[in-house]
Amino acid sequence: MKLVDVMSASGLSSYAIVALLLFVAAFLAIVIRTFSPGSTARYEAPSRLPLSDDVVTPAPRAQE
Amino acid sequence: MHAHVDTFSYDDAIVRKFLWATFIWGLVGMLVGLWIALEMANPAFNLGLEWFSFGRLRPLHTNAVIFAFAGNAIFTGIYYSTQRLLKARMFSDGLSNFHFWGWQAIIVAAALTLPLGFTQAKEYAELEWPIDLAIAVVWVAFAINVFGTIAKRREQHIYVAIWFYIASIVTVAILHIFNNLSVPAGALKSYSIYAGVQDAFMQWWYGHNAVAFFLTTPFLGLMYYFMPKAADRPVFSYKLSILHFWTIVFMYIWAGPHHLHYTALPDWASTLGMLFSVMLWMPSWGGMVNGLLTLRGAWNKVAEEPVLKFFVVAITAYGMSTFEGPMLSVKSVNALAHYTDWIIAHVHTGALGWNGFLTFGMIYWLAPRLFQAPLHSKKLAEWHFWVATFGILLYVAAIYSAGITQGLMWRAFDETGRLQYPDFVETVMRLMPMYWVRVVGGTLYIIGMLIFGYNIWRTWMARPRTYEVPVLSAPPLRPGATPAHPAPVGEGLLARFTSARWHRRWEGAPLFFTVMVILAVVVASLAEILPTFLIKSNVPTIASVKPYTPLELAGRDLYIKEGCFNCHSQMVRPLRHETERWGEYSKPGEFVYDHPFLWGSRRIGPDLARIGGKYPDLWHVEHFKAPRAVVQRSIMPAYAHLLERPLDFAGIQSRVDAMAMLGVPYGEALTRAPAMARTQAEAMAAGIELAGGPAGLADREVIALIAYLQRLGKDIQQAAATTADAAGVAGGVGR
Repeated sequence: MKLVDVMSASGLSSYAIVALLLFVAAFLAIVIRTFSPGSTARYEAPSRLPLSDDVVTPAPRAQE
Repeated sequence: MHAHVDTFSYDDAIVRKFLWATFIWGLVGMLVGLWIALEMANPAFNLGLEWFSFGRLRPLHTNAVIFAFAGNAIFTGIYYSTQRLLKARMFSDGLSNFHFWGWQAIIVAAALTLPLGFTQAKEYAELEWPIDLAIAVVWVAFAINVFGTIAKRREQHIYVAIWFYIASIVTVAILHIFNNLSVPAGALKSYSIYAGVQDAFMQWWYGHNAVAFFLTTPFLGLMYYFMPKAADRPVFSYKLSILHFWTIVFMYIWAGPHHLHYTALPDWASTLGMLFSVMLWMPSWGGMVNGLLTLRGAWNKVAEEPVLKFFVVAITAYGMSTFEGPMLSVKSVNALAHYTDWIIAHVHTGALGWNGFLTFGMIYWLAPRLFQAPLHSKKLAEWHFWVATFGILLYVAAIYSAGITQGLMWRAFDETGRLQYPDFVETVMRLMPMYWVRVVGGTLYIIGMLIFGYNIWRTWMARPRTYEVPVLSAPPLRPGATPAHPAPVGEGLLARFTSARWHRRWEGAPLFFTVMVILAVVVASLAEILPTFLIKSNVPTIASVKPYTPLELAGRDLYIKEGCFNCHSQMVRPLRHETERWGEYSKPGEFVYDHPFLWGSRRIGPDLARIGGKYPDLWHVEHFKAPRAVVQRSIMPAYAHLLERPLDFAGIQSRVDAMAMLGVPYGEALTRAPAMARTQAEAMAAGIELAGGPAGLADREVIALIAYLQRLGKDIQQAAATTADAAGVAGGVGR
């Protein structure tokens, strides 16, 4: 008996639908998490990261 | 000096290198694109030289603009932003330089091998196996460098741009490895381990996700970094960016089968691909809105700042192509658009608008900072913007009309129920004015590119004698440190769930995060791909389908070498106008020995799935020698060199052996493939001579190619004949 026979017999056609449902569930969890109360405050600092990346403690210039 | 403060500096030299590579390869890739656009408008531009024919140059164009232009642009932005977002120099300068030089060497290898005809025949994965190995090595070096930088970062939170980079790095690695699995049959020749339907499935799982994880997610990461920089305000909604990220990671990977609607792919896979593609529309537009609304209250800056102009058009083009993509994946729309120029217009909206303009905007913003001199001329940047924008409009307007025109002509029936345009070349001729407009549009875009190069070069000329390297200082990150921005914990189950500690940890935990991305990609891929590979009913076998003879196999390899699949499909869809025009629709079982599959994606010339036996051998000889002597208005390049070059009979054995390794049942041919090929070639050559054709073709390449073409679609005819015979016998009607 080959692997193909085993897999064919195991009725995997619905496998993709199960995976789809899992993905939808995981996705809903992320949506709830992202838009939950308090998230605006939580993401305030991270959202400013690109703007604050030059603002570091001033240090002396390198000697070239 | 405090014990708890690190001092460090960023490596901008590597960013400057990638910036120059972006421009140089971009220009090369676009010029090749312009050349092949000329070849389509007038076949004389093929120059009668095999290295310049459309089939050889088209993959060079696509590879150059995707992996050389967009690739180097991505690396430019990633090396600049990653260091700053993580407050750390790249993990290793050595790896950075290895990545840079390795990548450029791969591009040179591609530029040499593709025109010479070394190709795996899989779109955007044409490069042969030794180059594929080199890509894997360089990519791993890049990954180590980025993950190493993340490990030694001095910022707890990993900004959303880095998420996009991580997803791109891991997914591209997975896609590249699995799509390129092949058995070598020589130093620069290999056969895909997958065949037919499965190979097509793998290829478009790869092809679609190469668009997703090479041309979309890394550029979105760049957008989320450079747009706030240029607009000097944070992204409109960080929450939306998180959602944007996860939806794209979850959904993109499923959408590949929409490239194979109405082909021999199982229907369930095709429908799944369509559903996920339509769902992708929402998050994509969420991302577009997020990018554009970052400019809220700053729209006045757009008028005076070319960087923002480029970004606005780039993000708008992203929005347009991500609306169009889902629309094209709907089966009924796809039935019209597939194999036509509509798809070419679609990708160019994305490539010229989204990838190109985001790159230009980013580099205009970067150049003064990297070269430490003001941008040479804002006015020239404005000129670049308007010339290139006009170029894009001309290009896509012409090619959209070309696509829809040809699609409608193919499916048109007259009042008597017959095809209105049975002559294929008539549907090609109708496109010629549009092809010339495309040449103009493309030329304008390239003029813009030259203005861009001049502007950057002048900026570079004004650089200081030595670049200033600012030394920064920041406290190191302690292991297990909590974010500096704790979230308030509310009442109730929902609040407890959403503020749970594991949640807070994984946002700052790159390893866990990376594992989640890999899981999402792998689970989705397996759920979609495994059933096609392992469930028998998905590829019903056809008894009359036999392996190619050694001569036909050699001919098939020539078909691959010349890049015939770039213009000719081998897939008749089960649509009335298709079966009417080409013959019986294609079945999955027909392709079980096709390593790789050669279904094609664009019909610039006629479909060849049923070409076998349609014309005599001599017709093919004459047609290869001088296509326009046979089909007056054909735009096919001439292949006269096939009539002159001797066929490598001795080399056929190793090809047959490699195929046998993949499970193709070659009996007798395992020991005497060259002799068998010679016998078949001599018989065919004698026939051609007898019909009044040229003598002495028995040992020429053209014989092998004709043998292959004459085989196409023959096995299925035999199956039909056998079934008819069986039915006849059963019904007692002898023939």
